[in-house]
Amino acid sequence: MLLTADIVPVVVATGASARVAAEVAPQFKVGDSVRLRNHNPVTHTRLPGYLRGKMGVIEQDWGVFAFPDTHAHGLGEKPQHCYSVRFSAREVWGPTAAAPDTLRVDVFDDYMEAA
Amino acid sequence: MTSAHRSTPESEAAIRVKALESLLTEKGLIDPKALDALVDTYEHKVGPRNGAKVVARAWADPAYKQRLLSDATAAIKELGFSGLQGEDMVVLENTPDVHNVVVCTLCSCYPWPTLGLPPVWYKSAPYRARVVSDPRGVLKEFGTELPDTVEVRTWDTTAELRYLVLPERPPGTEGLNEDQLAALVTRDSMIGVTRLPTP
Amino acid sequence: MNGIHDLGGMHGLGPVLREDNEPVFHADWERRAFGLFASTFVFAGYSVDEFRHAIEKIPPAHYLDSTYYEHWMFAFEETLIKRGFVTRDELDARMAQLRAGEH
Repeated sequence: MLLTADIVPVVVATGASARVAAEVAPQFKVGDSVRLRNHNPVTHTRLPGYLRGKMGVIEQDWGVFAFPDTHAHGLGEKPQHCYSVRFSAREVWGPTAAAPDTLRVDVFDDYMEAA
Repeated sequence: MTSAHRSTPESEAAIRVKALESLLTEKGLIDPKALDALVDTYEHKVGPRNGAKVVARAWADPAYKQRLLSDATAAIKELGFSGLQGEDMVVLENTPDVHNVVVCTLCSCYPWPTLGLPPVWYKSAPYRARVVSDPRGVLKEFGTELPDTVEVRTWDTTAELRYLVLPERPPGTEGLNEDQLAALVTRDSMIGVTRLPTP
Repeated sequence: MNGIHDLGGMHGLGPVLREDNEPVFHADWERRAFGLFASTFVFAGYSVDEFRHAIEKIPPAHYLDSTYYEHWMFAFEETLIKRGFVTRDELDARMAQLRAGEH
Protein backbone atom coordinates (compact mmCIF):
# COMPACT_ATOMS: atom_id res chain seq x y z
CA MET A 1 0.00 0.00 0.00
CA LEU A 2 1.26 3.46 -0.90
CA LEU A 3 0.92 5.98 1.91
CA THR A 4 -0.44 9.18 0.37
CA ALA A 5 -0.77 12.57 2.03
CA ASP A 6 -4.55 12.35 2.30
CA ILE A 7 -4.47 9.25 4.50
CA VAL A 8 -1.65 10.45 6.75
CA PRO A 9 -4.14 11.93 9.28
CA VAL A 10 -5.91 8.58 9.59
CA VAL A 11 -2.66 6.69 10.05
CA VAL A 12 -1.52 9.20 12.66
CA ALA A 13 -4.83 9.12 14.56
CA THR A 14 -5.19 5.34 14.47
CA GLY A 15 -1.65 4.05 14.89
CA ALA A 16 -1.05 0.32 15.20
CA SER A 17 -1.72 -1.15 18.60
CA ALA A 18 0.20 -4.27 19.56
CA ARG A 19 -2.81 -5.62 21.48
CA VAL A 20 -4.07 -8.95 20.21
CA ALA A 21 -7.76 -9.84 20.50
CA ALA A 22 -7.15 -13.41 21.56
CA GLU A 23 -8.33 -15.39 24.57
CA VAL A 24 -5.06 -16.29 26.22
CA ALA A 25 -4.86 -17.40 29.84
CA PRO A 26 -2.53 -15.36 32.01
CA GLN A 27 0.24 -17.23 33.79
CA PHE A 28 0.20 -14.80 36.73
CA LYS A 29 -2.16 -12.60 38.68
CA VAL A 30 -1.84 -9.31 40.53
CA GLY A 31 0.07 -9.81 43.77
CA ASP A 32 2.09 -12.82 42.60
CA SER A 33 5.80 -12.89 43.32
CA VAL A 34 7.84 -13.56 40.22
CA ARG A 35 11.45 -14.03 39.23
CA LEU A 36 12.69 -12.87 35.84
CA ARG A 37 14.20 -15.73 33.89
CA ASN A 38 17.86 -16.01 33.02
CA HIS A 39 16.85 -15.20 29.44
CA ASN A 40 19.78 -14.46 27.11
CA PRO A 41 18.65 -14.85 23.50
CA VAL A 42 20.93 -13.60 20.74
CA THR A 43 17.73 -12.51 19.03
CA HIS A 44 15.35 -9.69 19.93
CA THR A 45 13.94 -9.40 23.41
CA ARG A 46 12.44 -6.66 25.55
CA LEU A 47 13.76 -8.08 28.81
CA PRO A 48 16.46 -5.65 29.94
CA GLY A 49 19.62 -7.31 31.20
CA TYR A 50 19.52 -5.43 34.48
CA LEU A 51 16.36 -7.35 35.48
CA ARG A 52 17.54 -10.86 34.69
CA GLY A 53 17.12 -13.09 37.75
CA LYS A 54 15.52 -10.33 39.83
CA MET A 55 12.42 -10.81 41.98
CA GLY A 56 9.37 -8.63 41.58
CA VAL A 57 5.63 -8.48 42.22
CA ILE A 58 2.84 -8.34 39.63
CA GLU A 59 1.12 -4.97 39.99
CA GLN A 60 -1.15 -4.91 36.93
CA ASP A 61 -2.15 -7.15 34.06
CA TRP A 62 -2.24 -4.99 30.92
CA GLY A 63 -3.84 -7.70 28.79
CA VAL A 64 -2.76 -9.65 25.73
CA PHE A 65 -0.15 -8.31 23.34
CA ALA A 66 2.07 -9.59 20.54
CA PHE A 67 5.32 -11.02 21.89
CA PRO A 68 8.29 -9.00 20.58
CA ASP A 69 10.78 -11.87 20.79
CA THR A 70 8.98 -13.86 18.09
CA HIS A 71 7.32 -11.00 16.24
CA ALA A 72 10.63 -9.33 15.45
CA HIS A 73 11.77 -12.40 13.54
CA GLY A 74 8.62 -13.17 11.60
CA LEU A 75 7.85 -16.08 13.92
CA GLY A 76 4.34 -14.97 14.75
CA GLU A 77 2.65 -12.90 17.41
CA LYS A 78 2.62 -15.58 20.14
CA PRO A 79 0.09 -13.43 22.03
CA GLN A 80 0.45 -13.43 25.80
CA HIS A 81 -0.16 -11.31 28.83
CA CYS A 82 2.01 -8.32 29.57
CA TYR A 83 2.19 -7.09 33.16
CA SER A 84 3.46 -4.15 35.12
CA VAL A 85 5.95 -5.64 37.56
CA ARG A 86 7.22 -3.80 40.62
CA PHE A 87 10.85 -4.22 41.71
CA SER A 88 12.42 -2.59 44.72
CA ALA A 89 15.40 -0.47 43.67
CA ARG A 90 17.53 -2.25 46.26
CA GLU A 91 16.60 -5.65 44.82
CA VAL A 92 17.86 -4.52 41.44
CA TRP A 93 20.83 -2.30 42.32
CA GLY A 94 21.85 -3.27 45.85
CA PRO A 95 21.98 -1.40 49.14
CA THR A 96 23.16 1.93 47.71
CA ALA A 97 19.77 2.49 46.07
CA ALA A 98 17.29 4.70 47.93
CA ALA A 99 15.14 2.57 50.24
CA PRO A 100 11.65 3.63 49.14
CA ASP A 101 12.37 3.63 45.40
CA THR A 102 10.96 1.14 42.92
CA LEU A 103 11.21 0.21 39.25
CA ARG A 104 8.09 -0.51 37.23
CA VAL A 105 8.70 -2.52 34.09
CA ASP A 106 6.41 -4.13 31.52
CA VAL A 107 7.15 -7.84 31.42
CA PHE A 108 5.69 -10.64 29.30
CA ASP A 109 4.56 -14.04 30.63
CA ASP A 110 7.43 -15.82 28.87
CA TYR A 111 10.00 -13.72 30.73
CA MET A 112 8.92 -14.82 34.23
CA GLU A 113 8.62 -17.78 36.52
CA ALA A 114 6.78 -18.04 39.83
CA ALA A 115 8.87 -17.21 42.87
CA MET B 1 35.46 24.87 -10.93
CA THR B 2 32.90 23.79 -8.40
CA SER B 3 33.40 24.75 -4.79
CA ALA B 4 35.20 22.09 -2.79
CA HIS B 5 32.76 19.50 -1.51
CA ARG B 6 33.73 18.53 2.00
CA SER B 7 32.12 15.35 3.13
CA THR B 8 30.86 16.11 6.62
CA PRO B 9 28.83 13.70 8.72
CA GLU B 10 25.85 16.00 8.19
CA SER B 11 26.14 16.01 4.43
CA GLU B 12 26.73 12.25 4.38
CA ALA B 13 23.58 11.73 6.42
CA ALA B 14 21.65 13.98 4.04
CA ILE B 15 22.97 12.04 1.06
CA ARG B 16 22.06 8.73 2.67
CA VAL B 17 18.48 9.86 3.29
CA LYS B 18 18.12 11.45 -0.14
CA ALA B 19 19.40 8.28 -1.80
CA LEU B 20 16.78 6.14 -0.09
CA GLU B 21 13.95 8.61 -0.50
CA SER B 22 14.68 9.19 -4.20
CA LEU B 23 14.98 5.48 -5.02
CA LEU B 24 11.78 4.55 -3.17
CA THR B 25 9.96 7.43 -4.85
CA GLU B 26 11.14 6.35 -8.31
CA LYS B 27 9.97 2.81 -7.58
CA GLY B 28 6.51 4.16 -6.68
CA LEU B 29 6.74 2.84 -3.13
CA ILE B 30 6.55 6.15 -1.27
CA ASP B 31 4.98 9.53 -1.90
CA PRO B 32 7.13 12.53 -0.90
CA LYS B 33 3.97 14.50 -0.19
CA ALA B 34 3.08 11.96 2.47
CA LEU B 35 6.49 12.53 4.03
CA ASP B 36 5.77 16.28 3.94
CA ALA B 37 2.44 15.69 5.72
CA LEU B 38 4.01 13.50 8.39
CA VAL B 39 6.74 16.06 9.03
CA ASP B 40 4.23 18.88 9.24
CA THR B 41 2.07 16.93 11.66
CA TYR B 42 4.83 16.18 14.14
CA GLU B 43 6.74 19.42 13.72
CA HIS B 44 3.76 21.74 14.07
CA LYS B 45 0.60 19.99 15.14
CA VAL B 46 1.43 17.31 17.69
CA GLY B 47 3.38 18.26 20.78
CA PRO B 48 3.40 18.67 24.56
CA ARG B 49 0.58 21.21 24.46
CA ASN B 50 -1.65 18.18 23.91
CA GLY B 51 -0.48 16.54 27.11
CA ALA B 52 -0.77 19.85 28.96
CA LYS B 53 -4.47 19.98 28.04
CA VAL B 54 -4.94 16.47 29.43
CA VAL B 55 -3.25 17.45 32.67
CA ALA B 56 -5.21 20.67 33.00
CA ARG B 57 -8.50 18.86 32.43
CA ALA B 58 -7.57 16.29 35.09
CA TRP B 59 -6.76 19.03 37.58
CA ALA B 60 -9.98 20.94 36.86
CA ASP B 61 -12.39 18.00 36.61
CA PRO B 62 -12.16 15.21 39.23
CA ALA B 63 -14.44 12.91 37.23
CA TYR B 64 -12.19 13.26 34.18
CA LYS B 65 -9.17 12.54 36.37
CA GLN B 66 -10.76 9.27 37.50
CA ARG B 67 -11.43 8.28 33.90
CA LEU B 68 -7.86 9.21 33.00
CA LEU B 69 -6.42 7.05 35.75
CA SER B 70 -8.62 4.07 34.98
CA ASP B 71 -8.56 4.12 31.15
CA ALA B 72 -6.05 6.66 29.95
CA THR B 73 -6.33 5.77 26.25
CA ALA B 74 -10.08 6.48 26.20
CA ALA B 75 -9.85 9.61 28.35
CA ILE B 76 -7.03 11.07 26.26
CA LYS B 77 -9.02 10.30 23.10
CA GLU B 78 -11.93 12.33 24.57
CA LEU B 79 -9.71 15.39 24.04
CA GLY B 80 -8.92 14.33 20.47
CA PHE B 81 -5.47 12.84 21.00
CA SER B 82 -4.82 9.27 19.93
CA GLY B 83 -2.91 7.03 17.61
CA LEU B 84 0.66 6.38 16.63
CA GLN B 85 2.85 5.55 19.65
CA GLY B 86 -0.01 6.25 22.04
CA GLU B 87 -2.38 3.40 21.25
CA ASP B 88 -2.19 2.03 24.79
CA MET B 89 -1.74 4.82 27.30
CA VAL B 90 -1.19 4.80 31.05
CA VAL B 91 -1.22 7.94 33.19
CA LEU B 92 0.90 8.03 36.34
CA GLU B 93 -0.21 10.37 39.10
CA ASN B 94 2.42 12.19 41.11
CA THR B 95 1.46 12.69 44.75
CA PRO B 96 3.27 14.00 47.81
CA ASP B 97 4.40 10.41 48.47
CA VAL B 98 5.08 9.14 44.96
CA HIS B 99 7.12 10.68 42.14
CA ASN B 100 7.01 9.00 38.73
CA VAL B 101 9.65 9.28 36.00
CA VAL B 102 9.61 7.58 32.60
CA VAL B 103 12.34 6.19 30.34
CA CYS B 104 12.85 3.64 27.59
CA THR B 105 16.22 2.07 28.36
CA LEU B 106 16.17 -0.21 25.31
CA CYS B 107 15.37 2.39 22.65
CA SER B 108 13.31 5.63 22.95
CA CYS B 109 9.63 4.76 23.28
CA TYR B 110 7.62 7.88 24.08
CA PRO B 111 3.92 8.89 24.00
CA TRP B 112 3.83 10.81 20.71
CA PRO B 113 0.15 11.88 20.65
CA THR B 114 0.44 13.67 24.01
CA LEU B 115 4.05 14.81 24.03
CA GLY B 116 5.10 14.89 20.36
CA LEU B 117 8.52 13.55 19.44
CA PRO B 118 11.04 12.98 22.21
CA PRO B 119 13.89 15.41 22.92
CA VAL B 120 17.44 14.24 22.19
CA TRP B 121 18.28 13.94 25.89
CA TYR B 122 15.49 11.42 26.48
CA LYS B 123 16.85 9.25 23.65
CA SER B 124 20.46 9.66 24.77
CA ALA B 125 22.61 6.91 26.26
CA PRO B 126 23.29 8.79 29.53
CA TYR B 127 19.59 9.20 30.34
CA ARG B 128 18.65 5.68 29.33
CA ALA B 129 21.51 4.20 31.33
CA ARG B 130 21.28 6.26 34.50
CA VAL B 131 17.68 7.11 35.27
CA VAL B 132 16.89 3.48 36.12
CA SER B 133 19.86 3.03 38.44
CA ASP B 134 20.23 6.58 39.80
CA PRO B 135 16.94 8.40 39.24
CA ARG B 136 17.55 10.85 42.07
CA GLY B 137 20.95 11.76 40.61
CA VAL B 138 19.45 12.34 37.17
CA LEU B 139 16.52 14.32 38.60
CA LYS B 140 19.01 16.48 40.50
CA GLU B 141 20.63 17.36 37.15
CA PHE B 142 17.22 18.65 36.13
CA GLY B 143 16.96 20.66 39.36
CA THR B 144 14.58 18.23 41.05
CA GLU B 145 15.31 17.05 44.56
CA LEU B 146 13.01 14.73 46.43
CA PRO B 147 13.03 13.85 50.13
CA ASP B 148 13.99 10.34 51.23
CA THR B 149 10.41 9.71 52.26
CA VAL B 150 9.09 10.01 48.69
CA GLU B 151 9.02 6.86 46.56
CA VAL B 152 10.62 7.49 43.18
CA ARG B 153 9.03 5.11 40.66
CA THR B 154 11.05 4.72 37.49
CA TRP B 155 8.97 3.30 34.65
CA ASP B 156 10.92 1.51 31.91
CA THR B 157 8.84 1.46 28.73
CA THR B 158 9.77 -2.05 27.66
CA ALA B 159 6.50 -2.96 25.92
CA GLU B 160 3.83 -1.03 23.98
CA LEU B 161 2.23 0.78 26.89
CA ARG B 162 3.12 4.48 26.76
CA TYR B 163 3.37 6.53 29.91
CA LEU B 164 2.38 10.10 30.73
CA VAL B 165 3.06 11.60 34.13
CA LEU B 166 0.28 13.64 35.72
CA PRO B 167 2.28 16.21 37.70
CA GLU B 168 1.03 17.55 41.02
CA ARG B 169 -1.01 20.70 40.65
CA PRO B 170 1.03 23.60 41.97
CA PRO B 171 -0.37 25.43 45.00
CA GLY B 172 -2.11 28.77 44.56
CA THR B 173 -3.69 27.82 41.22
CA GLU B 174 -7.25 27.38 42.45
CA GLY B 175 -8.60 30.36 40.55
CA LEU B 176 -7.14 29.48 37.16
CA ASN B 177 -9.17 28.21 34.22
CA GLU B 178 -8.12 25.21 32.14
CA ASP B 179 -6.23 27.23 29.56
CA GLN B 180 -4.28 28.99 32.30
CA LEU B 181 -3.59 25.68 34.02
CA ALA B 182 -2.40 24.09 30.77
CA ALA B 183 0.04 26.96 30.25
CA LEU B 184 1.78 25.97 33.50
CA VAL B 185 2.41 22.37 32.41
CA THR B 186 5.83 21.64 30.92
CA ARG B 187 6.90 18.70 28.81
CA ASP B 188 9.58 17.75 31.32
CA SER B 189 7.01 17.55 34.14
CA MET B 190 5.02 15.04 32.03
CA ILE B 191 8.13 12.88 31.58
CA GLY B 192 8.72 13.21 35.31
CA VAL B 193 12.18 14.79 35.44
CA THR B 194 10.81 18.00 36.92
CA ARG B 195 8.00 19.14 39.19
CA LEU B 196 6.02 22.26 38.48
CA PRO B 197 6.93 25.32 40.51
CA THR B 198 4.42 27.46 42.36
CA PRO B 199 3.49 30.17 39.85
CA MET C 1 20.08 -9.78 22.48
CA ASN C 2 22.59 -8.61 25.10
CA GLY C 3 23.56 -5.74 22.85
CA ILE C 4 24.87 -2.22 23.32
CA HIS C 5 21.31 -0.88 23.22
CA ASP C 6 20.60 -2.61 26.55
CA LEU C 7 21.87 0.42 28.43
CA GLY C 8 19.97 0.28 31.74
CA GLY C 9 22.45 0.59 34.58
CA MET C 10 25.55 1.24 32.50
CA HIS C 11 28.13 3.59 34.00
CA GLY C 12 30.59 6.00 32.42
CA LEU C 13 28.29 7.61 29.86
CA GLY C 14 28.47 11.04 31.41
CA PRO C 15 25.87 13.67 32.27
CA VAL C 16 22.55 14.07 30.52
CA LEU C 17 23.26 16.80 27.96
CA ARG C 18 20.38 19.08 27.11
CA GLU C 19 19.78 21.77 24.49
CA ASP C 20 17.68 24.80 25.37
CA ASN C 21 14.66 25.33 23.11
CA GLU C 22 15.57 22.25 21.15
CA PRO C 23 13.88 22.11 17.73
CA VAL C 24 11.88 19.03 16.78
CA PHE C 25 14.27 18.39 13.88
CA HIS C 26 17.89 19.56 13.71
CA ALA C 27 18.29 19.26 9.95
CA ASP C 28 16.16 18.70 6.90
CA TRP C 29 17.50 15.18 6.46
CA GLU C 30 16.10 14.34 9.90
CA ARG C 31 12.69 15.47 8.71
CA ARG C 32 12.85 13.18 5.69
CA ALA C 33 14.16 10.28 7.79
CA PHE C 34 11.23 10.76 10.17
CA GLY C 35 8.77 10.76 7.28
CA LEU C 36 10.24 7.54 5.94
CA PHE C 37 9.09 5.56 8.98
CA ALA C 38 5.34 5.51 8.41
CA SER C 39 5.85 5.60 4.64
CA THR C 40 7.99 2.44 4.56
CA PHE C 41 6.11 0.70 7.38
CA VAL C 42 2.96 0.83 5.32
CA PHE C 43 4.32 -0.85 2.16
CA ALA C 44 7.17 -3.03 3.41
CA GLY C 45 5.36 -5.18 5.98
CA TYR C 46 7.99 -5.04 8.70
CA SER C 47 6.96 -4.80 12.35
CA VAL C 48 8.14 -2.21 14.84
CA ASP C 49 9.82 -5.12 16.67
CA GLU C 50 11.84 -6.01 13.59
CA PHE C 51 12.73 -2.35 13.09
CA ARG C 52 13.97 -2.08 16.67
CA HIS C 53 16.05 -5.23 16.30
CA ALA C 54 17.70 -3.86 13.19
CA ILE C 55 18.85 -0.90 15.28
CA GLU C 56 20.09 -3.24 18.02
CA LYS C 57 22.38 -4.88 15.50
CA ILE C 58 24.25 -1.66 14.67
CA PRO C 59 27.93 -2.24 15.60
CA PRO C 60 28.29 -1.05 19.23
CA ALA C 61 30.81 1.78 18.76
CA HIS C 62 28.77 3.16 15.91
CA TYR C 63 25.52 2.81 17.87
CA LEU C 64 26.88 5.05 20.62
CA ASP C 65 28.50 7.46 18.20
CA SER C 66 25.56 8.06 15.87
CA THR C 67 22.26 9.84 16.34
CA TYR C 68 18.68 8.64 16.63
CA TYR C 69 17.75 9.28 13.01
CA GLU C 70 21.00 7.76 11.80
CA HIS C 71 19.88 4.65 13.69
CA TRP C 72 16.62 4.78 11.77
CA MET C 73 18.53 4.92 8.47
CA PHE C 74 20.39 1.73 9.39
CA ALA C 75 17.09 0.05 10.17
CA PHE C 76 15.36 1.23 6.97
CA GLU C 77 18.24 0.00 4.84
CA GLU C 78 18.46 -3.36 6.62
CA THR C 79 14.74 -4.11 6.49
CA LEU C 80 14.17 -2.88 2.96
CA ILE C 81 17.23 -4.60 1.49
CA LYS C 82 16.27 -7.83 3.27
CA ARG C 83 12.83 -7.63 1.72
CA GLY C 84 14.19 -6.91 -1.74
CA PHE C 85 12.72 -3.42 -2.17
CA VAL C 86 16.12 -1.88 -2.78
CA THR C 87 19.67 -3.23 -3.06
CA ARG C 88 22.92 -2.14 -1.44
CA ASP C 89 24.36 -1.50 -4.91
CA GLU C 90 21.46 0.77 -5.85
CA LEU C 91 21.85 2.78 -2.66
CA ASP C 92 25.61 3.08 -3.05
CA ALA C 93 25.29 4.12 -6.69
CA ARG C 94 22.70 6.76 -5.85
CA MET C 95 24.82 8.13 -3.01
CA ALA C 96 27.82 8.36 -5.32
CA GLN C 97 25.71 10.28 -7.82
CA LEU C 98 24.49 12.64 -5.10
CA ARG C 99 28.01 13.26 -3.83
CA ALA C 100 29.06 14.13 -7.35
CA GLY C 101 26.16 16.54 -7.63
CA GLU C 102 24.57 14.51 -10.38
CA HIS C 103 21.14 13.97 -8.88
